[in-house]
Amino acid sequence: MPEALLAVSGVSKRFGGLLALNTVSFEVEAGQIYGVIGPNGAGKTTLFSCLVGAARPTAGEIRFRGGRIDGLPNWAVVSRGVVRTHQIVRPFRQMTVRENVSVGAHFGAGRRRGAEAASRVGAILEKTGLAPRAEALAGTLTIGESKRLEIARALATEPSVLCLDEVMGGLNPSEIQGAMSLIRTLREAGLTVLLIEHHVHAVVGLSDRILVLNFGERIAEGAPAGVMRDPAVISAYLGEDAPEGTPS
Amino acid sequence: MSKILGVLADSLLAGGLYATMAYGLAVIYGVMRIINLAHAGFLMLGAYATLFLFTRFHIDPFVSLAVVLPAFFLIGVALYLAVVRRLPRSGATPSMESLLLLFGLWLVLQNLAYAIWGGDTQSILTGYTMKSISFGGVRVGVPLVLVFAASAMSLLVLTLFLKRTYVGKAIRAVTANRDAALISGVNADRISATAFGLGTAFAAMAGTLMSTLYAFTPDFGRSFLLKAFCIIVLGGMESAAGVALGAFVLALLENVMGAYTPIPTTFQDAISFSLLVIVLVLLPQGLPRLFTRISRPAHTR
Repeated sequence: MPEALLAVSGVSKRFGGLLALNTVSFEVEAGQIYGVIGPNGAGKTTLFSCLVGAARPTAGEIRFRGGRIDGLPNWAVVSRGVVRTHQIVRPFRQMTVRENVSVGAHFGAGRRRGAEAASRVGAILEKTGLAPRAEALAGTLTIGESKRLEIARALATEPSVLCLDEVMGGLNPSEIQGAMSLIRTLREAGLTVLLIEHHVHAVVGLSDRILVLNFGERIAEGAPAGVMRDPAVISAYLGEDAPEGTPS
Repeated sequence: MSKILGVLADSLLAGGLYATMAYGLAVIYGVMRIINLAHAGFLMLGAYATLFLFTRFHIDPFVSLAVVLPAFFLIGVALYLAVVRRLPRSGATPSMESLLLLFGLWLVLQNLAYAIWGGDTQSILTGYTMKSISFGGVRVGVPLVLVFAASAMSLLVLTLFLKRTYVGKAIRAVTANRDAALISGVNADRISATAFGLGTAFAAMAGTLMSTLYAFTPDFGRSFLLKAFCIIVLGGMESAAGVALGAFVLALLENVMGAYTPIPTTFQDAISFSLLVIVLVLLPQGLPRLFTRISRPAHTR
């Protein structure tokens, strides 16, 4: 059996007395849209931090294209083609939208320079609908635009795996539709997408497989329909507020 | 009338030097969020390096920049790799460890200079040290004009470097948001090394320029470090323009006090420190924020 594009095995992450992730394992195949859901505090964002090298797992290993990436610094993981966006957007406020995206193009996996970088940046701005705001300072964007900028900058690094952390949070329904179709377009273009999303309806609609975390542990994994019927998943969610769009 | 012009001219010329001196601190702070207390030490060593080149090889102080700048850039990079990078990461504010380390480094540099050159007061006398030229009735010293030209040029080059080069763009990105720079693939460690080298080179350059204007000892630089803090609080760290503005305001205040009040020039440091206190109380975010508040009062968040 060929090795998965991204293989997480037995990853734990401890913050002092808190075990944020407890021996989590899963595999993502190339070209999948892979959803990660779970109640607040389930360890979803910590998982992403470990994937991209922003946090070092306490135990376990993460392999990308067969090579270990856990323990590498953040930027080195990005240059191998695994990149994330943040739930709370982190623009370079004092730089223009175009400059923000071009930083990804220059220093990401693609390391594009000159005219080549400029044309890629232009194309990404078009694709994410930011072209009209290209010369605005990133600090002046609306929330919706900032979220798209976060994605645009990540895309400019030319990733193989794109980890999206709550890109739909705070968006209105039509913006969510836009984000969903953007994610589908990205997959058609060959990207593998990991998705953390509170918006369960969107995750179920988009994902090929879903991983459910609760208190740092994997409680279910598989195709969306089966996972959402899993008793462990239902009880994890009923312990909290039932999320919008949970199939009843 | 010509007295006012004279004061303005002196302030502008001194402001250029002050800006160069403060910019080195601003670059390092921006990228790493640490305050380089060893700045004054590099400034002093820059002056001694120029003295050495001048007495040993008869190299003009301004020409010596061609050696001093790259040498101190490399010294800065080496120091970053050897010690500064081992500091725990500062958050939004400088960590205690970074302050102690760099303060200690300053003391080491000072004592190194005492060991090599002794405590005697040194000065560099060139053919133009005592010369002055006149612009429309205003007489200004030739060294001050040359110092200003070199400062203005260095700030211009730095601004272009930050705007136009890939490394410059990465420096701006790390300054704006280190995490975001990392997830965009910027090797923030390498950029920090570069920024520390640049900051060190700028400090040494300010020292070289000052060696043509002032006498110096291994203690040289302390009062200038205080001035640099004052400038940065005034002008903010975000742009060369802000730093230049803060530098000019400080120089203007010093010159006006010197020309129009009986306060002796030995009290200059008291002036800059009083200004620092006043600004911190009244305008904690500095002059540029005041301007943006006036021009866009309703657009605050």
